[in-house]
Amino acid sequence: MSERVLIEGSEAMARAAVAAGCRFFAGYPMTPFTELLEHMAGLLPEVDGVCMNAESELEAVGMAWGAATTGHLAATGSTGQGLSLMQESLSEITNARLPLVVFNMARGQGDYFQATRGGGHGDYRHIVLAPMDVPEAVELTQLAFDMAGQWRTPVMVLGDYYLAHTYQAVSVPSFDTAAPEVPNWALDGSTGGSGAAKIVSPLGGGVEGEEGFDLGAHYAACAAHIQAMATGVEPLIDAGFCEDAELVVAAYGSVGKFVRYACLRLRDAGHRVGYIRPITLWPFPSEAVHKAASGSAKAAVYEQNMGQMVDDVRLATMGTVPVEFIGGPSWDHSGFGIGPDINVPDISERILETMP
Amino acid sequence: MNSPLAGERELMLTGIGGQGVQLAAQVIAQGAIADGKEVLVFGSYGGMMRGGNTDSTVVISDQPIEAPPVLSATWSAILMHHQYWAPLRVLISDGGLVLVNTSVFEDQLDRDRYRVVEVPATDVATDLGNPLLAAMVMAGVYGRTSGLVSLDGLVEGMRRSVPPYRSQLIEANEAALAKGWEMAA
Repeated sequence: MSERVLIEGSEAMARAAVAAGCRFFAGYPMTPFTELLEHMAGLLPEVDGVCMNAESELEAVGMAWGAATTGHLAATGSTGQGLSLMQESLSEITNARLPLVVFNMARGQGDYFQATRGGGHGDYRHIVLAPMDVPEAVELTQLAFDMAGQWRTPVMVLGDYYLAHTYQAVSVPSFDTAAPEVPNWALDGSTGGSGAAKIVSPLGGGVEGEEGFDLGAHYAACAAHIQAMATGVEPLIDAGFCEDAELVVAAYGSVGKFVRYACLRLRDAGHRVGYIRPITLWPFPSEAVHKAASGSAKAAVYEQNMGQMVDDVRLATMGTVPVEFIGGPSWDHSGFGIGPDINVPDISERILETMP
Repeated sequence: MNSPLAGERELMLTGIGGQGVQLAAQVIAQGAIADGKEVLVFGSYGGMMRGGNTDSTVVISDQPIEAPPVLSATWSAILMHHQYWAPLRVLISDGGLVLVNTSVFEDQLDRDRYRVVEVPATDVATDLGNPLLAAMVMAGVYGRTSGLVSLDGLVEGMRRSVPPYRSQLIEANEAALAKGWEMAA
């Protein structure tokens, strides 16, 4: 580990990505994703990597997809609007069983469904991680690349404006400049005789008569893989004070940090409130949420949207505890998801009003 | 059980662009890191140009920071100028610490509510040879009165914060930090 440095979230995530082995990045600038792209452009040449400023998000995800087929760790990213353009590719990349990390620096929390359900076609899911602050973003960026490689799947890191632009003291791992090991499924550009694959396709592939050629069989294998991830990926959650809580409040990401802080303050003031902060948004930590909420009289969900994760919390608690939505969208003139309601007193008031 | 929030100290800085508010925040934050502390910094978005409003938030602790980037209350404040300080005014906690640049600050302070330390920072900086050193004088005073950052830490923090094309100012900055530290005795 290197010494602790004061860097903004965008740079911390970029450094963590390169330290995790990322060697290709493509993106198109859009606030609050732009600085991540800029930092990748600065860092990747240091390790003989490549960063492309694409012409659009469509092109960026296509470039990253192509790089991923060569077995090198690749990443892309954008904010919600750009992610909309990338959805078809994310669906196809998932079915092509390719590792890819996607940094979604969202504008607010309106894109929870987009991130966790996916807007592309087909019956796909991929892993989604939601850090609450810069130190956690460094950890989860490393984890994202590990998981992408281990499960051969896209992994989304879901951040926002606060995460991108907050400076914190963090230790960022140093870069390993050793040439990465290329997996045996990767394309090497040769057209025959090398023994390497010649096609990595969302439609399966291979040769007629061999395993993988049949499209139905391929989709069945993809489905089995989604199921394996749903049960095999360790669900991550941060929870506190739930044991004797009358009310537990669920929230995720940076907003989850505001809620967690509000709960810590309310605890200091003697209120029996607990918090649950899902870190893996897919797979959703349903069992842990269920358990954390099981002792309380009531659960509440605070999100900066019209109510999206609240559905997952309700599915997790299965009617064992009433779940109230206490969030709501909040915008300022910028549209960047940093609305005036995102403050601790406002959140605390909503929590107190919801206490049983 | 001690609250995890007990050790957290917040600082909000306000001024007009060009007074060195962002640099002072960086120096104090980098200084705290040099002293081995945990730090969070969040600057305001938008026009940090000369003459426009500029403010910054710093949180310092011995433990991992629990505070989110946007604060609704602050333990301390540095007021370099009065022009844009209204939003900050209501956020200062009772019993807090307020450093005011009396050389230019023209507004009423709630002296019953918090401790005010008057620092003629711009005048002192002018005497040192450059009025732009005012923010460094203020950072020096802040380090000592708050007890959050050592002088060695501030100097190291300043060295880490000054961009290479301003390296000729390191010596003057160091003198300004030391002057502020001395004034706070």
